[in-house]
Amino acid sequence: MSAIVAAPLLVALGGAIGCLLMRSRPRLLRGVSLLGGVGYLLATVALARAVFADSDAILVYYLSGWQAPYGITLVADRLSVIFIGLTAIVSLAALWVSVRTIDASGQRISYHALYQFMVVGITGSFLTADIFNLFVWFEVMLMASYVLVVFHSGPEQTRAGMQYVVLNLLGSAVMLLAIGGLYATTGTLNMADLARRLAEPAAYGIAPGPVLGLTGLLLCVFALKAGLVPFQFWVPGAYQAAPPPVTAMLAGVVKKVGVYAIIRLYFSVFAVATIPDSGGLSVVAGEPFLVVFGGVILVMALLSILLGGIGATGRNNLDELLAYSSISQVGFIVLPLAVAATTLPGDSLFRAGVLATIVYAIIHGFAKGVLFLVSGAIEDHVGTLEFSQLGGISEQAPVLSGAFFVGGLTLIGIPPLFGFFGKLLVFKVGVEAQNTIGWIAVGATLIGAILTITYVTRAWERAFWGPPNEFVEELTVSPSVVAVIAGLAIIIIALGIGFQPVYELANGATSAVIDTDAYVRAVLGPESAHAIGGGLR
Amino acid sequence: MQPDSAVLLAVLAIPFVGAALVPLVHRVLGERTAYYAATIAALCSGLLISQYERWGTVTVEWIPALDVSLVLYLDGLAFLIGLLASGIGVLVFIYSGGYMHGEPGQAKYYTTLLVFMGSMLGVALVVDLLSLFVFWELTSVASFLLIGHYQRADRSLYASRKAMFITVSGGLFMLIGFLLLGHISSFVLDGSTFTLIGTEQSLIGIPGEVTHAEAIRHELVERGLFVPVIGLIAIGAATKSAQIPFHIWLPDAMEAPTPVSAFLHSATMVKAGVYLIGRFRPLFVPEHVFAAEVWTWLFVGLGLATMTIAAMLAVSATDIKELLAYSTASHLGLIVAGFGFAETVGAETGAFHILNHAAFKATLFLVAGIIAHEAGTRSIDALGGLRHDMPIVAAITAVASLSMAGIPPFNGFYSKELLFDAAWETAHHFGGLTWLLPVVAVFGSIFTFLYSIRFLWLFFGDRPTELGEIHRPPLAMLLPAGVLAIIVLVLSLGAAPIAHDFVNPIVKSSLIATPEGYHFSVHLPHALKPPVLMSVVTIAGGIAMYPFYDRLHHGIRRLRSIALLSPNQYYDRGITGIAHVSDVVPRYVQTDLMRTYAAVVMSAVSVFALGGYLLGGTGTDLTEAVSGVNLALPITIILAVAVVGALAVDRAPSHIAGVLTLSILGFTVAVFYVLASAPDLALTQLVIETLVLVLFLLVLDRLPAFYGELRRGRAILDGLIASGVGLTVTITVLVTTAADPSDGIAHFFVEKAPVPAEHGTLITDAGGGNNIVNVILVDFRALDTMGEISVVAMAALAILTLIGMRNRGERA
Repeated sequence: MSAIVAAPLLVALGGAIGCLLMRSRPRLLRGVSLLGGVGYLLATVALARAVFADSDAILVYYLSGWQAPYGITLVADRLSVIFIGLTAIVSLAALWVSVRTIDASGQRISYHALYQFMVVGITGSFLTADIFNLFVWFEVMLMASYVLVVFHSGPEQTRAGMQYVVLNLLGSAVMLLAIGGLYATTGTLNMADLARRLAEPAAYGIAPGPVLGLTGLLLCVFALKAGLVPFQFWVPGAYQAAPPPVTAMLAGVVKKVGVYAIIRLYFSVFAVATIPDSGGLSVVAGEPFLVVFGGVILVMALLSILLGGIGATGRNNLDELLAYSSISQVGFIVLPLAVAATTLPGDSLFRAGVLATIVYAIIHGFAKGVLFLVSGAIEDHVGTLEFSQLGGISEQAPVLSGAFFVGGLTLIGIPPLFGFFGKLLVFKVGVEAQNTIGWIAVGATLIGAILTITYVTRAWERAFWGPPNEFVEELTVSPSVVAVIAGLAIIIIALGIGFQPVYELANGATSAVIDTDAYVRAVLGPESAHAIGGGLR
Repeated sequence: MQPDSAVLLAVLAIPFVGAALVPLVHRVLGERTAYYAATIAALCSGLLISQYERWGTVTVEWIPALDVSLVLYLDGLAFLIGLLASGIGVLVFIYSGGYMHGEPGQAKYYTTLLVFMGSMLGVALVVDLLSLFVFWELTSVASFLLIGHYQRADRSLYASRKAMFITVSGGLFMLIGFLLLGHISSFVLDGSTFTLIGTEQSLIGIPGEVTHAEAIRHELVERGLFVPVIGLIAIGAATKSAQIPFHIWLPDAMEAPTPVSAFLHSATMVKAGVYLIGRFRPLFVPEHVFAAEVWTWLFVGLGLATMTIAAMLAVSATDIKELLAYSTASHLGLIVAGFGFAETVGAETGAFHILNHAAFKATLFLVAGIIAHEAGTRSIDALGGLRHDMPIVAAITAVASLSMAGIPPFNGFYSKELLFDAAWETAHHFGGLTWLLPVVAVFGSIFTFLYSIRFLWLFFGDRPTELGEIHRPPLAMLLPAGVLAIIVLVLSLGAAPIAHDFVNPIVKSSLIATPEGYHFSVHLPHALKPPVLMSVVTIAGGIAMYPFYDRLHHGIRRLRSIALLSPNQYYDRGITGIAHVSDVVPRYVQTDLMRTYAAVVMSAVSVFALGGYLLGGTGTDLTEAVSGVNLALPITIILAVAVVGALAVDRAPSHIAGVLTLSILGFTVAVFYVLASAPDLALTQLVIETLVLVLFLLVLDRLPAFYGELRRGRAILDGLIASGVGLTVTITVLVTTAADPSDGIAHFFVEKAPVPAEHGTLITDAGGGNNIVNVILVDFRALDTMGEISVVAMAALAILTLIGMRNRGERA
């Protein structure tokens, strides 16, 4: 048992409570919040060191010392650590921009506490090995984000916030129903225990059929969180309404919680399950659950890529354009999972697919982080993001514009930027599949990438080139904000040129996904995993 | 002898390092940054020349996990392209020193141009396909920034976006082709590779030592990927090298400053596509064939079509840079066609013409820049008789344009002869329709002759009276053009030895194997062979048609204005079309209507869940569950009341009635809890119901009384969706509550919780409580409880925020 697992969670929670206590001391409040952000980064580094010290360590922490599956278990493995790392970097950058750009009264009222609570929810989601606990962290994350989206409380924000809240409350209800159902049908909430039981349903008196329906129900919730079509409705409104640093977090990190949950549950825990042969009507009787997951994810990914990409090309507002782009990009993120699902976890294609998704998710976190922070800096100073009111920003703010350019090119997938490797891996998975779904993935990625070129060049030429107007001419962004944004852009360049270690990290994370057996053994003890293919994977 | 790895890597790295330093240098040197950049280019060409004939391979590991390395491969072709990039770079930078005098954005200009030069050197030297792709795309990005140099002008924006769109999209197709090749290689070689040539485990192998080309081709055919791979690579090459119908970006790219046009859009970047075709030629064109499968017909067709059509378009041009742009596309077509032909003479055509075209076309672009700079116009009609004002420039132009026209003894003549030869030989062998090839080649060449002479005529003929005073060009601009013209002259007069010594290895780069005793040679014709006759026809035809130049010019303009024939129209319509389609998304999908959103989301939820139950074959579980349901009479009555309450909510005529009927529903649920022996839940439910009712009543009079009529169709649809959701939840509850998994965690609590005397003291000792529900809430699942407490705390913060920020919101 390693207490270090809880470190990032505790630091963020401490930050949140500290911010609540310091509300009457604005300077101290900011200090505590920033300290929380830095502390979170340090805790993440410590956790990462512990996880990577041993080549395939899975660190487990049983809360209150209750043995799994009876209590709640936190698990840090190579998958969760990668996502927490992304969170640590993007959230610290966005926090600094918040401190510099959110107005003082807003910061004092509740901003920092909510921001920290959001990080708490995100972290809990990445660490927990308990599906009900996952629901709780989703609630924490969502409650914070509800308030942050409507933070400025204008008519636009209220309207978008309302939609965001209603859709996500529906999502929460569905999630509760699905989790309750899973508990009733499988007799457990612990993810490792779930995997163990689903691999050998007969031994535990479980009927896999209902479980498939429940996973369908639960998938809606994660797709809603990730903003995949047909659950994307909240995205454009919420992204435009939220304060820019919050949008950077929502697009960069919060969406990835949905992606993470899909990877963890559907490609590790539920991936071991098989549809019963006595399926009767079912055309997929005897097939693994993955076949169904793959089909559903494929449809959602294709629709997202097209709807988001086409939607983005004609938008006349920078934030709106980026929001649609975000729908499209999440489509790219999950697309390789659909290809992976055509095989079993032991197959190299499965590995390649999951790996591509992980890499792309991280890329998108950084790219959208940069892009929304730049758009936020512009909005703060120019007062609008309508293209008709923008132009010539690159003359006025060359470094900021350069960061946007890097972010935009990485969305397109221009080498040697980080984003290139996302596109490359998605193409590679499609090509190597040598099956229909693979070719569909290649075709969709191609079309989506061409759409990306269309809207990125449009955004660039409408906002950053062209003659500057009088508002743009007065654009002066605080140097420290520019430095933070430029830092993120440099990360995008560096992670591209130095892709090999990133690949190794992602590959390790993928191993953690594939080796469900090791996960079960780590959480439930060495003798627990015999059911899952006898250590086959 | 192997190339020196440090030197080759330095050639690649120096431009990028140099580019990174430009902002600093520019602060010190100002406009003289041009000479700093020229020095860097000179350094690169010097280093490259020091490696001449040290052909070989240098490998640097990059991403072993993806089988990607930085493989530098120096041979004749790589050396040529590298030398063009760095050598013409020197001249273009010097020229920029004059041309860009007083222009804005110089630091950006020189940075981008140096990045471009480095990338182009990368394209030339790197043969690992994925690493090559990195530099390939960087040249496109640099081109985008340079075409958009005058970023305030709409035309620059249009042109740069078009170029980016076409070249980068084409690059993506090519990338897929590369990945397919890499995938295929794993079945032929030891593991997959993206290295095209130069190592033992590369797709082609080491020329003269190892060859895998045939095995790779075979594998591609076996898997049905042969045509797709050639097609995908062809798209990449054609978009970059402005082949029809992708040529449309090149004339617009002339919005860039003229040095950029000379450098990127004639001498180097657009050569990347033809270079790639030459590079891949050994893989797809076997020895001793008259036509390579797919390859020959695809590239000969593409090349000759581009050569002819672009030459005609050049005749229709009204702007000197436009003329040169179309001419560039046309000559690139010639090179593509050359590489397409399977015989050795095809490779000779391609290799020699890359060199010749770079020399004469860069010269002419620099001349065009001088004309525009000094005469203040680029309109062909407004110019004439310039030889009086610029005699030296006139001489330079004469050399270059006669070479472009293909007139002996200038160098352009030789490579055109080679093309004629290749076309003739192929037609002679295959007969039939292939006789069209030499015919088209001659036809296209006549137009080449026409526009070349027209360009030259800017300096002769009469000087239009409205043409204002013309300045002498500054030395910085004249010198590079002069140097290039001298190079054209040297290439022309020394064609035979240069071909023998310098071009020979370049030709060999595009051959899979060199025939016994082969050596490339050219000479002036001394017998009347078919190609010579073809040249005679071309020149005679050109001279005969020149008097009708204006008529041709107008005729072609009319032809190109037909929308159906114009790729530009398709591009423009595509771009505006996609914007129109794009507007559909906010109009019909993101409607901002909560009802639509909820309806779609909940429908999807139902489909996902019910689909899962269906595919999982839950039918039997469901029938068992339904048969297991056993409702007592009181519960049945209460649930019936709840159903009535639910229906009444929908029919409620006013808000008050709606809220009251809704609370009927809530209270019956509470009663249901009581009957189901859950008094604590009932209590909670009652409290919530009461609170909700009170809250509703408080805000009711703030709500509008009337929202609008509900259409019947909409009501039916909504009813169906609601029923679907109801069905989903009902089925979920039925099948899940009926399930009875063994050994679940509930069993643990049931076993441990009751009377300690019989069940042990685990819960009381470790949990510290006597009520199992409490122990679960505050101990087993304490983290959940803490999370929910923070949610409550945040709810309080939410209220605080909404109140606190409200005033600010209204102000803003």
